[in-house]
Amino acid sequence: MTDSAPAPVLEAVGVSYSYPGPTPTQALDQLSLEVKDNEFLALLGPVGCGKTTLLRIFAGFLRPTKGAVRCGGATIAGPGWQRGYVLQEQAIFPWMRVRENVEFGLLAKGVEPSARRAVSDELLGLIGLSSFEAAFPRELSAGMSKMVEVARVLATDPSILLLDEPFGALDAQTRAHMQDALARLWERRRKTVLFVTHDAEEALYLADRIVVLSQRPGRIKAQFSVDLPRPRSFETRFSSGFLALKRQVWEATGTEPVRRDHQA
Amino acid sequence: MRWVRVRRAVVALVAVAGLYGLAAQIGHGRLPDRIWLGTHYVENVQLLPTWRSLAEEGTFLLESDILVSSVAVSTRRVAIGLILGSIAGILLGLLTGLATRLESLADPWVTFFRFTPALALLPLYVVWFGYGESSKVLLIATNVAVITLLGAHQGVRGVPRVYLDAAASLGAGPWLRFRRVVLPVAFPSIFASIRVAAGLAWVTIVVAELIDARMPSLGYLLTLAGAYPRVPTMLLALATVGALVLLFDLLALLLHSWGTRWMERAG
Repeated sequence: MTDSAPAPVLEAVGVSYSYPGPTPTQALDQLSLEVKDNEFLALLGPVGCGKTTLLRIFAGFLRPTKGAVRCGGATIAGPGWQRGYVLQEQAIFPWMRVRENVEFGLLAKGVEPSARRAVSDELLGLIGLSSFEAAFPRELSAGMSKMVEVARVLATDPSILLLDEPFGALDAQTRAHMQDALARLWERRRKTVLFVTHDAEEALYLADRIVVLSQRPGRIKAQFSVDLPRPRSFETRFSSGFLALKRQVWEATGTEPVRRDHQA
Repeated sequence: MRWVRVRRAVVALVAVAGLYGLAAQIGHGRLPDRIWLGTHYVENVQLLPTWRSLAEEGTFLLESDILVSSVAVSTRRVAIGLILGSIAGILLGLLTGLATRLESLADPWVTFFRFTPALALLPLYVVWFGYGESSKVLLIATNVAVITLLGAHQGVRGVPRVYLDAAASLGAGPWLRFRRVVLPVAFPSIFASIRVAAGLAWVTIVVAELIDARMPSLGYLLTLAGAYPRVPTMLLALATVGALVLLFDLLALLLHSWGTRWMERAG
């Protein structure tokens, strides 16, 4: 590297993906994307545009039909803890207590129980669920469960986080809470984050950069860099910079009514 | 919640027993005591024994040690058959559940054995394993294995993809995924099948004890009581088998609820 720009941590080069079957569906078409070190990148797009497909490719569960995906320069061959992946679906293990859930990745790494405990103590405190350590997930709300999933991924301290609409199933109020919690978490422990969402405001509040995807097959439609000051707060959501960007992003996603007026 | 159900079960049992006692009392002296058994008449048959005659018969069966030793022998056979059959069935079910290729190999055999009545296998097992304990125990084990194989297989197949993906991306290898994800999720299905198999094992034992039929055994006690015929003995033997089925069911249920503490229980 000759210039000062940091090397990409995650990289997709000309990635296409088709789901096999009697009627193959092309989810992604010639998509190239770079996520830089410690960057919080939001991938914004409508439902069914291939965001989740791209994330599953980065997570190592899908192989691109064409193109390449790399992590730190090496081709991604399969799932691994270095890329902490929070699924879109509820994936907390209901048969394990909250603490066991958080410690699972450490168990897989063969970490000693006392060391596991120290990590889970810290993370549970960080997400404010210390008093629920011995609870089974059914005793948690959907928002709390999702936070436990995030903590579970953070426990092994991966350098990269892949978050797939983690707060998609929550009500607006809880979602705002969770976004705050995630923003605080990220400000405290910087990581490279690829965050998939269909919510422009969520993307703006959390991300350094937003990549807007088109309808299926997903292609990059627009990019925005979000130069809003950190730490972001309640006030951020109503700042003029935020609102101006929100307008631009909404226009780029093609949801603005103006466009229909033009066509009429 | 649990106590309400226990109370209801007790009330239902007492009510049926009470109704039976009433019917027996009304029938006492009114029902015929001489019946035609196909080739001959049998005298002094109590079609509906009263509670008193049941109590007398029960006292005899207990004092002569017939009942206790029969229960001990039959329970031992059922327990061994259940344990052996469960181990074999669960292991095979886990295997076929995990490996898709094995599934298609095992599938026709499972269907084949699932609907083969125990009685049909009996002559074969006598020839293969002799008249001793092994043919009885193995007959039970075979029946149990088929049921638990299905339970384990379906349990493994029912593990949601999300959990396996989450575990894999957290760095869990195949063995850890099997131990900490597949097994706990498949557990309810496996133990539901053990519960069914425990009941079935008792159905099988009565048939199995026709091989080299001799006392003490509950199956032969029933056969003997039918040959005379002694209705009080039949009813007591039936009630004993029923009570043992309930006991085994309760044990399986306790095991099941211990393994599914994490699940939400409705009602």
